[in-house]
Amino acid sequence: MGENETTVVVGTSKDGGMSRRRFLARGAAFTFAAAVTGPGLTLLSGCGGGGSASGPLTFWQFYGPGGEVAVQGKWFQDTVEGWNESHETQIKLQYIPVTEYLNGSKLQTAFSSQEGPDLFIISPGDFLRYYNGGVLQDLTPYIEQEARSDLYPNVMGTREVDGKIFGIPMEVEPLAMYYSTKAFEEAGLSEADIPQTWDQLLDVAGTLKKGNRFGLLFETNPGYYQNFTWYPFMWQGGGDAVAASGKESAFDSEGAMQALQFWQDAVESGVAPRKGLGTGANDIIANLAQEHCAIQNCGIWAVAALRENAPDFEYGTFKLPLPPGGEYTTDLGGWAFVANSQGKNPEDAGRFCAWALASMSQDSIDRGVGWIAEADSTVAPRKSVQQKAEEQGAFESGPMKFFSEEAFPGARGEPRYTPEVYKAVSDAIQAVQLGGSDAGDSAAQAAEQINTFLKSYSGARIV
Amino acid sequence: MSVKSREPAPGTREARRAEPPSRRRLSRKHREWLAATLFIFPDALGLLVFLGIPMVLALGLGFFDVSGFGGFSFAGLANYKKMFADPLFFNSLKVTVLYVGGFVSGVFVVSLGLALLVQRKIPFVGVFRSMFFLPHVVSLVVVGLVWQFMLTDGIGVVNQVLGAIGLQERSWLGDPDVALLTVVVVSIWFFMGYYMIIFLAGLQDIPQEFYDAAKVDGARSWQTFWNITWPLLKPTSFFVLLVSTITGVAGLQAFDLIYVMTRGGPANSTSLGIFYIYEQAFQFNDYGYAAAMSSFLVLILLAATAAMFVLTKGGRFEVD
Repeated sequence: MGENETTVVVGTSKDGGMSRRRFLARGAAFTFAAAVTGPGLTLLSGCGGGGSASGPLTFWQFYGPGGEVAVQGKWFQDTVEGWNESHETQIKLQYIPVTEYLNGSKLQTAFSSQEGPDLFIISPGDFLRYYNGGVLQDLTPYIEQEARSDLYPNVMGTREVDGKIFGIPMEVEPLAMYYSTKAFEEAGLSEADIPQTWDQLLDVAGTLKKGNRFGLLFETNPGYYQNFTWYPFMWQGGGDAVAASGKESAFDSEGAMQALQFWQDAVESGVAPRKGLGTGANDIIANLAQEHCAIQNCGIWAVAALRENAPDFEYGTFKLPLPPGGEYTTDLGGWAFVANSQGKNPEDAGRFCAWALASMSQDSIDRGVGWIAEADSTVAPRKSVQQKAEEQGAFESGPMKFFSEEAFPGARGEPRYTPEVYKAVSDAIQAVQLGGSDAGDSAAQAAEQINTFLKSYSGARIV
Repeated sequence: MSVKSREPAPGTREARRAEPPSRRRLSRKHREWLAATLFIFPDALGLLVFLGIPMVLALGLGFFDVSGFGGFSFAGLANYKKMFADPLFFNSLKVTVLYVGGFVSGVFVVSLGLALLVQRKIPFVGVFRSMFFLPHVVSLVVVGLVWQFMLTDGIGVVNQVLGAIGLQERSWLGDPDVALLTVVVVSIWFFMGYYMIIFLAGLQDIPQEFYDAAKVDGARSWQTFWNITWPLLKPTSFFVLLVSTITGVAGLQAFDLIYVMTRGGPANSTSLGIFYIYEQAFQFNDYGYAAAMSSFLVLILLAATAAMFVLTKGGRFEVD
């Protein structure tokens, strides 16, 4: 009793206000409460993000309003609004900046903390990471048989496991070469000089190199995109990263070595830069249109980018040149809608994917045409969409006709290698292209790394 | 005896008044200690919640196989075995050592040189100090983008200047021989103002009387620096060395620059330990392996810090 009284006396100042001790004590209590509850509140507020147990389904993608091609963001908005108007389950778009989506940690961190979005888009290069992680919803039950037959098999191969569909592509993006008409004319070259072989490409690039303008641009930044653009050069000579059996590497091969050597020759001969402008060789505006190079290895999406951002720039396209005795092929990239099997409502998320991109309804087909021919510039992943776009004249002339009739046939879907395979190949490309390493040694080293990994790999089939 | 006779009789009002309080007041020293503790407490709590606990968790995570999608399984020392068999990890360690060596020595010399320059009473010295410090207030992503633009092959301003004076142009970010050096230079440029301010504070702490005496004795500038400035600046130098080493090994600022400018390339030549850890965790989903490498990196950092403390006797110099 006496002690309590003393405490009160000590804690109160003579004038009846708060003493320093009491002030400090209360301050500490408040701080502790804030510090302890702060993170808790943060966590709770985080539940309102990707993995909230209630509320609309979240859809993460990187086509934001007012992006490089403004109509692409609008296409996503229209698609989601169309669903929301006719369904009880609502979907909310969330825009992630493209560099963060491609090379950042946001999507991965969200899944690690069980807060992944209900819907998102992935490329084949990332497919196995998410499939083996067990977060991709089987979309097969939501796709009618007729629509399934409508999807091109060579496009669907990298989105299927054991006959089940886990991703529905919105586009097919073949790679080819773009060239500046003005640079060709200035160098006294004509269409007859368009290179057919690797050697011719290096020769023509040498002719086009002038001042600060390089003759040719391949991707130089390490990453999934660089691998994606390099694969067709390897395939043309019969090489591969993983053999058809899926049990061993086929990288220690003539096809891989000569492709590595080809990219090294382009850099070491001085016709190609060691570093592209902007975001790299996927950025046609910063490089070809700005005259940083005269020929650029890029995908079909560049047609829309040029149409939107450099409408007066005159350019041409040609197929990837071949090595001696090589067989033409190119890489088919493209993003696909996927649903999170651990999300709030995987069934409705799966239904949305099918409704948006793989239904035989006229709306779904029109939506597909809207993306490939108006919002973007790509080939369709579905026969009906491609057919309707052709009827509307989308592939009648110019670069789109070239991509549809010349680049696309014989193309191969982007492989869905695991991160371990990707990294081994990426290190080989970088070491040879920019590090000056021996192509044979680098190919052998990468093959050994891939073989070591494949011995213990137990996920879905890689090829 | 007269004092004793003044004591009040027990039980009287006077006696109760004279009784000491039942709880003795804290001494001034203890009150200050308590106040200091309470002021430090919020920050310490923040460090515990956001650094201490995650560090302990990361240490534990190194012994697990983590899928990145919620799956955990105990892996024992598997991640550490993998680490010691991974040539890319050793490459990243080598790159880190080269980076730290270049960054720490470079930033030390440049920032000390700048501090010596701007401690003089010259016109507009405040403007110069602000200009040297200015890079440090800019976002590192912006710094990376601006330098990337200036270092562009062919048309970048750096190559334009080199070409104009007849020197050979280089691909500063695309050539493995010079890419790390480029990142080091940009890092030094970013940090030089910050460490300049620290050195400036150290220089201004040195009593003017020493310099006056040296002047009377006829000492030259170099002798003054070597016999007065350098020894009396040792505590500040130690602090700069320690902090810049930790900054370099942890690679926090370098991560942003590398992420923007090189993405670890070309040919892994700028793949610092911190970047390789990031790549393993967030691009390859191998959180357990990334945690094991992080723990090892922290161990190296602790060893380096301990070595510095031992060599300098805990940072207590004889000038203290």
